[in-house]
Amino acid sequence: MLLVPCPHCGPRNAADLRYLGETTVRPDPSSADPDAWRSYLYLRDNPAGWLTETWYCRSGCRRYFTLERHTVTNEFRQSPLPFAKGERS
Amino acid sequence: MSRRLPPRAGEVIDRNEPVRFTWNGAEVTGYRRDTIVSALAGAGERIFSRSMKYHRPRGILTADYWDPNCRLQVGDEPNVRAAHRLVDHGMAVSAQNAWPSLDFDVRAANNAVSRFLTAGFYYKTFMKPARLWPAYERVLATFAPGGTVDLDTPHGYYDKRYAHPDVVVAGGGPAGLAAALAAADTGARVMLVEHDHRLGGHLLIGGGGDRAAAAELVSAVTDHPAIEVLLDSTVTGRYDDNWTAIVQRSHPVAVERLIKARAKVLVVAPGLIERPYVFGGNDRPGVMLSGAARRLIELYSIKPGDRAVVLSGNTSGDAAVRSLESAGVQVVRVVDARIGETVVATHGSPKRVEAVELADGTTVDADLLVTAIGWTAPTSLLNMAGDRPVYDEAAARFVPGGRLPDTVLATGGLVGDGSLDELVAHGRATGELAARRAAIVKATLQAATARARPPSEPIPEPPADDRPVLHPAPHPPLFRSASHGIVDYSEDVNSKDLVAAAAEGYDSVELIKRFTTSTMGPEQGKLETVNTVAVLAEARGESIGEVGTTVWRPPFAPITLGALGGRVFEPTRVSSIHAWHEANGMTPILAGQWIRPEHYGDPAAEVLNVRTNVGIIDVTPLGKLDLRGADVPRLLNLLYTNKWMQLPVGGVRYGVMCAEDGVVMDDGVTGRLGDDRYLMTTTSSGEGTVWEWAENWLQTLHPEWDVVITPVTTAFTSINVAGPRSRELLGRLTDVDLSPDAFGYMNVRLGSVAGVDGSIMWRIGFTGELSYELHVPAGHGLTVWEALLDRGADLGVAPFGLEAQRIMRLEKGHFIVGQDTDGLTRMPSTGLEALIRLDKDDFAGKPELAWALDGGDADGAVGPAVPRIVAIQPTDPNLVPAEACQVVRAGTNEIVGRITSSRFSPTLERSICLGQVLPEATAAGTVLTVVLTDGTRTTATVMAHHAHFDPEGARLRV
Amino acid sequence: MTTMRMLTTGIRRRSAVSGSARYSAAGLIKRGITGESWPRAWRDHELKSSYDVVIIGAGVHGLAAAYYLAANHGITNVAVLDKGYVGGGGSGRNTAIVRSNYLTPEGVAFYDRSLTLYNTMAGDLNINVMFSERGHLTLAHTDSALRTMRWRAEVNKLQGIDSNVIGPDEIKALTPSLDTSANTRYPILGALYHPPGGTIRHDAVNWGYARAANALGVQIHQNTEVTDIVVVGGERESGRGGGGRVTGVRTTRGDIATPIVLNATAGWASLIAAMAGVRLPITTHPLQAAVTEPVKVFLPTVVVSGSLHVYVSQTDRGELVFGASVDPFATYDMRGSLDFTEELAGHVLELMPGISKMRLLRQWAGLCDMTPDYSPVMGFTPVEGFLSDVGWGTYGFKAGPVSGEQMAECIATGRTPKLIAPFALERFTAGQLVGEKGAAAVGH
Repeated sequence: MLLVPCPHCGPRNAADLRYLGETTVRPDPSSADPDAWRSYLYLRDNPAGWLTETWYCRSGCRRYFTLERHTVTNEFRQSPLPFAKGERS
Repeated sequence: MSRRLPPRAGEVIDRNEPVRFTWNGAEVTGYRRDTIVSALAGAGERIFSRSMKYHRPRGILTADYWDPNCRLQVGDEPNVRAAHRLVDHGMAVSAQNAWPSLDFDVRAANNAVSRFLTAGFYYKTFMKPARLWPAYERVLATFAPGGTVDLDTPHGYYDKRYAHPDVVVAGGGPAGLAAALAAADTGARVMLVEHDHRLGGHLLIGGGGDRAAAAELVSAVTDHPAIEVLLDSTVTGRYDDNWTAIVQRSHPVAVERLIKARAKVLVVAPGLIERPYVFGGNDRPGVMLSGAARRLIELYSIKPGDRAVVLSGNTSGDAAVRSLESAGVQVVRVVDARIGETVVATHGSPKRVEAVELADGTTVDADLLVTAIGWTAPTSLLNMAGDRPVYDEAAARFVPGGRLPDTVLATGGLVGDGSLDELVAHGRATGELAARRAAIVKATLQAATARARPPSEPIPEPPADDRPVLHPAPHPPLFRSASHGIVDYSEDVNSKDLVAAAAEGYDSVELIKRFTTSTMGPEQGKLETVNTVAVLAEARGESIGEVGTTVWRPPFAPITLGALGGRVFEPTRVSSIHAWHEANGMTPILAGQWIRPEHYGDPAAEVLNVRTNVGIIDVTPLGKLDLRGADVPRLLNLLYTNKWMQLPVGGVRYGVMCAEDGVVMDDGVTGRLGDDRYLMTTTSSGEGTVWEWAENWLQTLHPEWDVVITPVTTAFTSINVAGPRSRELLGRLTDVDLSPDAFGYMNVRLGSVAGVDGSIMWRIGFTGELSYELHVPAGHGLTVWEALLDRGADLGVAPFGLEAQRIMRLEKGHFIVGQDTDGLTRMPSTGLEALIRLDKDDFAGKPELAWALDGGDADGAVGPAVPRIVAIQPTDPNLVPAEACQVVRAGTNEIVGRITSSRFSPTLERSICLGQVLPEATAAGTVLTVVLTDGTRTTATVMAHHAHFDPEGARLRV
Repeated sequence: MTTMRMLTTGIRRRSAVSGSARYSAAGLIKRGITGESWPRAWRDHELKSSYDVVIIGAGVHGLAAAYYLAANHGITNVAVLDKGYVGGGGSGRNTAIVRSNYLTPEGVAFYDRSLTLYNTMAGDLNINVMFSERGHLTLAHTDSALRTMRWRAEVNKLQGIDSNVIGPDEIKALTPSLDTSANTRYPILGALYHPPGGTIRHDAVNWGYARAANALGVQIHQNTEVTDIVVVGGERESGRGGGGRVTGVRTTRGDIATPIVLNATAGWASLIAAMAGVRLPITTHPLQAAVTEPVKVFLPTVVVSGSLHVYVSQTDRGELVFGASVDPFATYDMRGSLDFTEELAGHVLELMPGISKMRLLRQWAGLCDMTPDYSPVMGFTPVEGFLSDVGWGTYGFKAGPVSGEQMAECIATGRTPKLIAPFALERFTAGQLVGEKGAAAVGH
């Protein structure tokens, strides 16, 4: 059971959190073209390496936050910034 | 004929307590602390099973948990490891895969044709005629080697436990015992897990000195307050971050228990597993490993044979010679593998060894052949922690590769060999290191958790690993003799099979394993992986190290489904009115976690009563979110497709939420209760999803907004009072002015109902009647419910359930998200285009909805093929088509839509439906062809409005 | 039903493997007597400097594509590359369930074609793939699930597929070990029953295609990892499939020139596609499976429960094989987890309470490339010569034969066959996802 480092609650069993996937950048809805919008909806990098991703601490502080995790070793690095403008899960 | 020896020092059996049980129906007597197999062996039994494919008779091989020949049925329990399981009064033990009996098994006829039934033979035949494969399959299935499951087996009591020890030590031999003591002395809380029924490991069969040393260590461990000992338990898995699975097989109450321990440090000290030798006749009863002979003699006082040959390649073989002699067995020949001597075959009947043929050409009469040709390191737990074993040529075994995280340490035989003092010293040093590293893990976890540790308290420095070195001792490489023999006893795989498989191209370890099934039996490779690799290496002309080995997968020891499942803790949810429903004839329905009334006996009557008089329904599961803050309207604008900035206090609006792909996600009404106070309702199943969705937007995109959300679904009991007389009824119970001018349709008021303050009242209309939805503080729900029934008796008030509500909403054409819409339904398909306000800045899914309304995006890809929701009435008013019946183009099988909701309407006295159909069929008056579930076809007509009843909504607005 | 299948198989070629290399009972007897070993199922080769087609991935999809290229189109200058051993990825790790009772007409037509090919595979490939048509039950525990089963049944029937909704009594008669009473936490309300569904020996299918392809001249290269794909022209950096065309691949055993590269990997699809500058709608999650010790056979059907997230069948050797849903977060690490086996056991015991004393023996995992609409990505990409047969999620094995057949046609003709047109990569930028998303079920 992976321990996920919630920035507020400390390391918690992964079952206490919900995984939302690669953190994506939402295009400006008023100017995005279908290609850009649907890339945001569907296309993903899916790297075998460091990934910035969004987690939700559903059994604890109920905050959304990003973490950097290596998708092969499952090590975590703390993501240094809160959500940047336009970034969401 | 009894094979039991007179009492010996070191025996574990209690001769004062005989234990009577049955074996294949016949009564046998053993002693307390005998295993089932030792009790049987003591009574003279030599054959315990028949092999899987060839049904060859099989006797004791290892006399421990992993013995492949000793899996027996005990009562309703299949596959009992009978050389490990302790015997008990009244057990009904039987062989598993012999017919008609162990003694005479007709399937042994296979043995005569074994050359044609080589590993993987079934891939090469039984292909034609194809229609006979089921018959072939049934025959093959009768060779299924396991025991029998009694499907009426009652589900016993199993449980789970969580533990947070500082150090888990896997293995209670000398190194493990020493590690546990040292770790506990260094301040750690230790959990020591031992596979067998007692601590001590190989010391218990080592003779007087070893036993005394064991007793000392065991006594210190048992007395130590910081060490918890678990016997007959195995550390069976090591998962991420040392999440450790321990199967506890002996428990006073539970049949078996799973312990999940988040070990800060795991010490792995499982010792070594002895390996069988591959040669002709190596599975004949009477061939056993040195550990088996020693255990039978030293622990159970059993004489394993009368005339023995011992093939010795190491000290265990030498010790076996001494043990055998002390038991009165005539050791007629010691074959020393260290100087190149070896054994080539056994001869005799299928049921017993009668002679042993040596490499030097001589044949020796004997009824027992004991082999000691080497060891396999069970590196499983290390592998699960990321290590890859490395082959040590000089020691002739795989050893740990040294790529372990700091929190996993290995000690004892797993790492290397040495004197007892050396093993103990290594164990001690490992235990101390483990405790010190555990303290660092603890400090680090605390430092990462707010307020768990004062920032001024430093995290200790990591200690150096300056443990003594333990090297694996040199050992002659002994895998296969000059002849061919069994490599996997459980799967009946012969070394010839492996050679043939390699020749056919299945010449990597993984391929040969899959093709021959070697290592895939119940021992999962513990006895056979290395021999398989060795034979393959030989066939490839490579070294074992070059060939490599298979991946060890969890669990290390098998665990029952019962223990893995544990107890069922799935809550159900009920409202405060539940007991009343139960007492008053409800038929319950499970809706998610909720138990709700589906009806009270006659849903049609309930519908008519609502439309004529007044009905009340318990709608507590309705999702409710309390929203507060100056920016709530902005949030509502973002979540819903319509506009919310101008909602006045006391106003209520209906909204639909879409996901970012424009697909309908949820719907409900939201009302403004005060300047900065709103209440949002969602679908019952959507409550959690919508709350998390809303929080996501607030936290990630608009953290600057002043909004606080509190889920209040269970804070209120919700009751809908519906019907032409609802105003009259409610008026008797509330201080709120219900007159139409004061409280119009789509409004909300606060007040008291039946004396309960803090109640919220909406005037909305899912059922299509004049109705008020009450949300009262949850604990007072029953009070209000009973008051309504009591005060409304003369008005004909009666409860109604979910089914009646579904009928009425269908009569009014209200779609249900997730039933009339699906995972591809974008909002325009619902017919509610008017609610999509593209002139808003931003809302979830706006771009997709804009393109959908446009008839497609730049590519014009979205358009004619998108279905829409329509109301449908079957031509035959008494025919209620099943939901999900397909709508097809007349005369074809081409699907153009389906029925999504379908009921008989008591109000209209005819069947009514909602469905989704392609645009070609949505025009009012279109006649549709509906395929019923029995395959027949009928017609139905598309209606002009979604509402079948009162489409203008006049009844709502009185 | 069998007759209809045989008619629609298409042109039956003489079997790829001929002469004394053919598997048969007679052959077994002969070699049992003489002791002569069978020839290698597939040969090792030196890597050539060029091929007409390079297929990345020696799983069932890649091997089937190679076989059908050779058998149906006479294209034999083909290399199948795999960084590990034949069938070592998802093809060797799945729970080997085959069925065609999908939700959409296009899904049904597609998977049913596969079932047709499976039915005659033993004869076509001259290997016993042990296709056991034992009946497939998808249990429904809620009204909404039952409605979805009805939806699938009705669509199936209109396509001529044997599929229907049955009630608890009939379920109990088919599978006595199931608890169909109302006493369970989530009582069984009904099931989608699909008699033609069943299980197959997945390794035999992989080896069968490998052996047959090899016999027709295709080269299979194990332990050959692709490290890059050479694309000329286009904007590889854009990450949105910026065009250009393929001229070759680089591997750990050398470079190959080729105009056509087929990405037939599972678990690595995004990484391979990235080498060609193509971005996919895929996230990779482990899917775990587990097996118990063998017991006497008692489970005659394949049982799936969407609500309880579990599926189970029993092998001829008597082991129960279990699966559930994919792991919740994306990772390329195929280690197992304990919570998987715990949840699985809990749910299986709800379905079959009598098996609590059976023991779990082994668990493993494979990698699944998940797409937003539970359907694959097949066909051409914006990079000329770079084709995809990926995104197979948890339902890839059953589609191996038809995918191979269709991708071979795609490559040979240069046109997208009708059967796979709904699975084009463009559907995502067009916002036209496949309808299988309509009733998102779990556990395929």
